[in-house]
Amino acid sequence: MTNGLTIVIIVAALLVAGHALVAALRNRAMDLAQLISLGVLELLLAAQAVVGFVKLSGGEGPESTATFAGYLIGALVLPVAAAGWGLLERTRWGPGVIVVAALGVAVMIVRLDQLWSGTGG
Amino acid sequence: MADRESPRGARAGGGARADAGARTGGAARPGTAGGPGRVLVAVYGIFALAAGARAGVQIATRFAEAPLAYGLSALAAAVYVVATVALALHGRTAFRVAVAACATELVGVLVVGTLSLTDPGAFPDETVWSAYGRGYGFVPLVLPVVGLLWLRRTARQGGGPGAGGGRPVGGGV
Repeated sequence: MTNGLTIVIIVAALLVAGHALVAALRNRAMDLAQLISLGVLELLLAAQAVVGFVKLSGGEGPESTATFAGYLIGALVLPVAAAGWGLLERTRWGPGVIVVAALGVAVMIVRLDQLWSGTGG
Repeated sequence: MADRESPRGARAGGGARADAGARTGGAARPGTAGGPGRVLVAVYGIFALAAGARAGVQIATRFAEAPLAYGLSALAAAVYVVATVALALHGRTAFRVAVAACATELVGVLVVGTLSLTDPGAFPDETVWSAYGRGYGFVPLVLPVVGLLWLRRTARQGGGPGAGGGRPVGGGV
Protein backbone atom coordinates (compact mmCIF):
# COMPACT_ATOMS: atom_id res chain seq x y z
CA MET A 1 0.00 0.00 0.00
CA THR A 2 2.94 2.32 -0.46
CA ASN A 3 1.03 5.08 -2.16
CA GLY A 4 0.22 8.66 -1.36
CA LEU A 5 -3.04 7.73 0.32
CA THR A 6 -1.25 5.95 3.16
CA ILE A 7 0.82 9.03 3.95
CA VAL A 8 -2.20 11.32 3.64
CA ILE A 9 -4.15 9.18 6.12
CA ILE A 10 -1.31 9.07 8.64
CA VAL A 11 -0.86 12.84 8.46
CA ALA A 12 -4.63 13.40 8.69
CA ALA A 13 -4.91 11.09 11.71
CA LEU A 14 -2.08 12.91 13.47
CA LEU A 15 -3.70 16.27 12.70
CA VAL A 16 -7.03 15.07 14.11
CA ALA A 17 -5.21 13.82 17.22
CA GLY A 18 -3.36 17.11 17.65
CA HIS A 19 -6.52 19.16 17.16
CA ALA A 20 -8.40 17.07 19.72
CA LEU A 21 -5.49 17.25 22.14
CA VAL A 22 -5.62 21.05 22.03
CA ALA A 23 -9.36 20.92 22.77
CA ALA A 24 -8.79 18.53 25.68
CA LEU A 25 -6.06 20.72 27.14
CA ARG A 26 -8.27 23.81 26.75
CA ASN A 27 -11.03 21.95 28.59
CA ARG A 28 -13.44 22.00 25.66
CA ALA A 29 -15.91 19.34 24.63
CA MET A 30 -15.92 18.00 21.08
CA ASP A 31 -17.08 20.63 18.59
CA LEU A 32 -18.37 20.50 15.04
CA ALA A 33 -14.91 21.01 13.55
CA GLN A 34 -13.69 17.84 15.25
CA LEU A 35 -16.74 15.94 14.13
CA ILE A 36 -16.07 17.03 10.54
CA SER A 37 -12.37 16.16 10.80
CA LEU A 38 -13.32 12.68 12.02
CA GLY A 39 -15.69 12.40 9.06
CA VAL A 40 -12.90 13.31 6.64
CA LEU A 41 -10.63 10.73 8.29
CA GLU A 42 -13.38 8.13 7.96
CA LEU A 43 -13.80 8.92 4.26
CA LEU A 44 -10.05 8.55 3.71
CA LEU A 45 -10.11 5.20 5.51
CA ALA A 46 -13.08 4.07 3.44
CA ALA A 47 -11.15 4.98 0.29
CA GLN A 48 -8.17 3.06 1.63
CA ALA A 49 -10.37 0.02 2.31
CA VAL A 50 -11.78 0.13 -1.22
CA VAL A 51 -8.31 0.41 -2.76
CA GLY A 52 -7.02 -2.33 -0.46
CA PHE A 53 -9.77 -4.79 -1.29
CA VAL A 54 -9.53 -4.07 -5.01
CA LYS A 55 -5.81 -4.82 -4.84
CA LEU A 56 -6.41 -7.96 -2.77
CA SER A 57 -9.00 -9.24 -5.22
CA GLY A 58 -6.56 -8.51 -8.02
CA GLY A 59 -4.15 -11.02 -6.53
CA GLU A 60 -1.81 -8.48 -4.99
CA GLY A 61 -1.15 -8.22 -1.31
CA PRO A 62 0.68 -9.75 1.61
CA GLU A 63 0.65 -13.39 2.66
CA SER A 64 -1.36 -12.64 5.77
CA THR A 65 -4.40 -11.57 3.80
CA ALA A 66 -6.84 -12.07 6.67
CA THR A 67 -4.84 -9.87 9.04
CA PHE A 68 -4.53 -7.21 6.36
CA ALA A 69 -8.27 -7.24 5.70
CA GLY A 70 -8.89 -7.12 9.45
CA TYR A 71 -6.85 -3.96 9.79
CA LEU A 72 -8.55 -2.39 6.77
CA ILE A 73 -11.98 -2.94 8.32
CA GLY A 74 -10.94 -2.43 11.93
CA ALA A 75 -9.56 1.03 11.21
CA LEU A 76 -12.98 2.06 9.90
CA VAL A 77 -14.53 1.47 13.31
CA LEU A 78 -12.33 3.87 15.26
CA PRO A 79 -13.38 7.34 13.96
CA VAL A 80 -17.05 6.38 14.22
CA ALA A 81 -16.63 5.11 17.79
CA ALA A 82 -14.65 8.23 18.73
CA ALA A 83 -17.32 10.53 17.28
CA GLY A 84 -20.05 8.72 19.20
CA TRP A 85 -18.01 8.99 22.35
CA GLY A 86 -17.39 12.68 21.78
CA LEU A 87 -21.13 13.25 21.42
CA LEU A 88 -21.90 11.35 24.63
CA GLU A 89 -19.12 12.69 26.83
CA ARG A 90 -19.57 16.45 26.76
CA THR A 91 -16.38 17.20 28.63
CA ARG A 92 -12.71 17.48 27.73
CA TRP A 93 -12.52 13.70 27.88
CA GLY A 94 -14.52 13.39 24.68
CA PRO A 95 -11.63 14.92 22.73
CA GLY A 96 -9.36 12.80 24.95
CA VAL A 97 -10.92 9.68 23.47
CA ILE A 98 -10.57 11.17 19.97
CA VAL A 99 -6.83 11.63 20.57
CA VAL A 100 -6.51 7.93 21.44
CA ALA A 101 -8.64 6.78 18.51
CA ALA A 102 -6.84 8.96 15.96
CA LEU A 103 -3.45 7.77 17.19
CA GLY A 104 -4.82 4.24 16.99
CA VAL A 105 -5.75 4.84 13.35
CA ALA A 106 -2.24 6.13 12.61
CA VAL A 107 -0.70 3.02 14.21
CA MET A 108 -3.04 0.70 12.32
CA ILE A 109 -2.17 2.35 9.00
CA VAL A 110 1.53 2.00 9.73
CA ARG A 111 0.92 -1.69 10.52
CA LEU A 112 -1.03 -2.08 7.28
CA ASP A 113 1.90 -0.65 5.39
CA GLN A 114 4.30 -3.02 7.17
CA LEU A 115 2.08 -5.99 6.35
CA TRP A 116 1.89 -4.93 2.73
CA SER A 117 5.64 -4.61 2.36
CA GLY A 118 6.28 -7.76 4.39
CA THR A 119 8.31 -6.20 7.17
CA GLY A 120 5.85 -6.95 9.93
CA GLY A 121 4.11 -10.04 11.21
CA MET B 1 -2.77 14.45 30.37
CA ALA B 2 -3.42 17.02 33.02
CA ASP B 3 -6.17 16.18 35.44
CA ARG B 4 -7.08 19.35 37.18
CA GLU B 5 -10.78 18.92 37.32
CA SER B 6 -11.44 15.88 39.45
CA PRO B 7 -11.82 17.06 43.00
CA ARG B 8 -11.83 14.41 45.65
CA GLY B 9 -15.24 13.38 46.77
CA ALA B 10 -16.90 14.50 43.58
CA ARG B 11 -18.33 11.06 43.02
CA ALA B 12 -20.35 10.55 46.14
CA GLY B 13 -22.38 7.35 46.05
CA GLY B 14 -24.00 7.24 42.66
CA GLY B 15 -24.89 10.91 42.58
CA ALA B 16 -24.17 13.29 39.74
CA ARG B 17 -20.58 14.22 39.22
CA ALA B 18 -19.86 17.69 40.44
CA ASP B 19 -16.90 18.52 38.25
CA ALA B 20 -16.71 18.39 34.45
CA GLY B 21 -15.60 21.98 34.06
CA ALA B 22 -17.71 25.08 33.83
CA ARG B 23 -17.26 25.51 30.10
CA THR B 24 -18.11 22.01 29.10
CA GLY B 25 -20.68 21.13 31.74
CA GLY B 26 -23.26 18.54 30.89
CA ALA B 27 -24.42 15.14 31.95
CA ALA B 28 -21.29 13.36 33.04
CA ARG B 29 -21.72 10.04 34.74
CA PRO B 30 -20.06 8.93 37.92
CA GLY B 31 -17.94 5.83 38.29
CA THR B 32 -15.07 4.28 36.45
CA ALA B 33 -16.38 5.17 32.98
CA GLY B 34 -16.74 8.92 33.53
CA GLY B 35 -14.26 11.64 32.65
CA PRO B 36 -10.69 10.41 32.25
CA GLY B 37 -12.00 6.87 32.61
CA ARG B 38 -13.46 7.29 29.13
CA VAL B 39 -9.98 7.50 27.68
CA LEU B 40 -8.95 4.39 29.56
CA VAL B 41 -12.00 2.51 28.31
CA ALA B 42 -11.21 3.69 24.78
CA VAL B 43 -7.66 2.37 24.94
CA TYR B 44 -8.93 -0.91 26.36
CA GLY B 45 -11.53 -1.06 23.60
CA ILE B 46 -8.88 -0.64 20.92
CA PHE B 47 -6.78 -3.38 22.49
CA ALA B 48 -9.78 -5.67 22.78
CA LEU B 49 -10.42 -5.07 19.09
CA ALA B 50 -6.79 -5.50 18.04
CA ALA B 51 -6.06 -8.55 20.18
CA GLY B 52 -9.38 -10.16 19.36
CA ALA B 53 -8.98 -9.70 15.61
CA ARG B 54 -5.45 -10.99 15.72
CA ALA B 55 -6.31 -14.04 17.80
CA GLY B 56 -9.28 -14.80 15.57
CA VAL B 57 -7.12 -14.73 12.46
CA GLN B 58 -4.34 -16.78 14.05
CA ILE B 59 -6.68 -19.48 15.33
CA ALA B 60 -8.74 -19.60 12.16
CA THR B 61 -5.78 -19.88 9.80
CA ARG B 62 -2.94 -21.68 11.57
CA PHE B 63 -3.82 -22.81 15.09
CA ALA B 64 -1.79 -26.02 14.78
CA GLU B 65 1.49 -24.15 14.24
CA ALA B 66 1.59 -22.60 17.69
CA PRO B 67 -1.37 -23.63 19.84
CA LEU B 68 0.11 -22.20 23.04
CA ALA B 69 0.85 -18.77 21.58
CA TYR B 70 -2.46 -18.52 19.81
CA GLY B 71 -4.38 -19.82 22.79
CA LEU B 72 -2.73 -17.14 24.89
CA SER B 73 -3.61 -14.54 22.26
CA ALA B 74 -7.24 -15.56 22.55
CA LEU B 75 -7.05 -15.48 26.35
CA ALA B 76 -5.47 -12.02 26.25
CA ALA B 77 -8.19 -10.81 23.91
CA ALA B 78 -10.90 -12.20 26.19
CA VAL B 79 -9.36 -10.49 29.22
CA TYR B 80 -9.24 -7.17 27.33
CA VAL B 81 -12.89 -7.51 26.37
CA VAL B 82 -13.87 -8.27 29.97
CA ALA B 83 -11.79 -5.34 31.26
CA THR B 84 -13.29 -2.97 28.69
CA VAL B 85 -16.86 -3.90 29.57
CA ALA B 86 -16.23 -3.93 33.32
CA LEU B 87 -14.55 -0.51 33.23
CA ALA B 88 -17.41 0.90 31.19
CA LEU B 89 -20.09 -0.40 33.54
CA HIS B 90 -21.00 0.82 36.98
CA GLY B 91 -21.56 -0.99 40.20
CA ARG B 92 -19.71 -3.06 42.72
CA THR B 93 -19.56 -6.25 40.69
CA ALA B 94 -18.25 -4.46 37.60
CA PHE B 95 -15.61 -2.80 39.75
CA ARG B 96 -14.42 -6.14 41.15
CA VAL B 97 -14.41 -7.74 37.72
CA ALA B 98 -12.40 -4.81 36.38
CA VAL B 99 -9.83 -5.18 39.17
CA ALA B 100 -9.59 -8.93 38.51
CA ALA B 101 -9.23 -8.39 34.75
CA CYS B 102 -6.53 -5.75 35.13
CA ALA B 103 -4.67 -7.93 37.64
CA THR B 104 -4.91 -10.92 35.29
CA GLU B 105 -3.48 -8.81 32.50
CA LEU B 106 -0.60 -7.62 34.62
CA VAL B 107 0.25 -11.18 35.66
CA GLY B 108 -0.20 -12.37 32.07
CA VAL B 109 2.06 -9.79 30.51
CA LEU B 110 4.75 -10.38 33.13
CA VAL B 111 4.64 -14.19 32.97
CA VAL B 112 4.26 -14.49 29.19
CA GLY B 113 6.75 -11.67 28.65
CA THR B 114 9.34 -13.44 30.77
CA LEU B 115 8.66 -16.89 29.27
CA SER B 116 8.80 -15.54 25.72
CA LEU B 117 12.30 -14.23 26.40
CA THR B 118 13.63 -17.21 28.35
CA ASP B 119 11.96 -19.93 26.26
CA PRO B 120 11.42 -18.53 22.75
CA GLY B 121 10.83 -22.04 21.40
CA ALA B 122 7.47 -22.21 23.14
CA PHE B 123 6.36 -19.04 21.37
CA PRO B 124 7.13 -19.36 17.67
CA ASP B 125 4.79 -16.51 16.85
CA GLU B 126 4.12 -13.24 18.58
CA THR B 127 1.32 -12.70 21.05
CA VAL B 128 0.13 -9.40 22.47
CA TRP B 129 2.07 -10.17 25.64
CA SER B 130 5.33 -11.40 24.04
CA ALA B 131 8.43 -9.59 25.30
CA TYR B 132 6.24 -7.52 27.63
CA GLY B 133 4.16 -6.22 24.74
CA ARG B 134 7.08 -4.89 22.71
CA GLY B 135 5.17 -5.31 19.46
CA TYR B 136 2.54 -2.94 20.81
CA GLY B 137 4.80 -0.23 22.16
CA PHE B 138 4.76 -1.78 25.65
CA VAL B 139 1.22 -0.50 26.06
CA PRO B 140 0.07 -3.97 27.28
CA LEU B 141 2.53 -3.59 30.17
CA VAL B 142 1.51 -0.05 31.09
CA LEU B 143 -2.23 -0.43 30.59
CA PRO B 144 -3.07 -2.76 33.52
CA VAL B 145 -0.99 -0.62 35.89
CA VAL B 146 -2.83 2.53 34.80
CA GLY B 147 -6.12 0.63 35.02
CA LEU B 148 -5.47 -0.52 38.58
CA LEU B 149 -4.37 2.96 39.66
CA TRP B 150 -7.49 4.44 38.13
CA LEU B 151 -9.71 1.88 39.84
CA ARG B 152 -8.06 2.59 43.18
CA ARG B 153 -8.63 6.28 42.65
CA THR B 154 -12.32 5.93 41.86
CA ALA B 155 -12.72 3.63 44.87
CA ARG B 156 -11.12 6.24 47.09
CA GLN B 157 -13.45 8.89 45.81
CA GLY B 158 -16.30 6.82 47.15
CA GLY B 159 -18.24 6.27 43.98
CA GLY B 160 -16.17 3.58 42.35
CA PRO B 161 -18.26 0.65 43.47
CA GLY B 162 -21.30 2.60 42.40
CA ALA B 163 -24.69 2.09 43.96
CA GLY B 164 -24.47 1.96 47.71
CA GLY B 165 -21.15 3.74 47.66
CA GLY B 166 -19.40 1.05 49.65
CA ARG B 167 -15.76 0.38 49.09
CA PRO B 168 -14.89 -2.96 47.63
CA VAL B 169 -13.25 -5.27 50.11
CA GLY B 170 -9.75 -6.29 49.13
CA GLY B 171 -9.95 -4.26 45.96
CA GLY B 172 -6.19 -4.03 45.55
CA VAL B 173 -3.95 -6.49 43.88
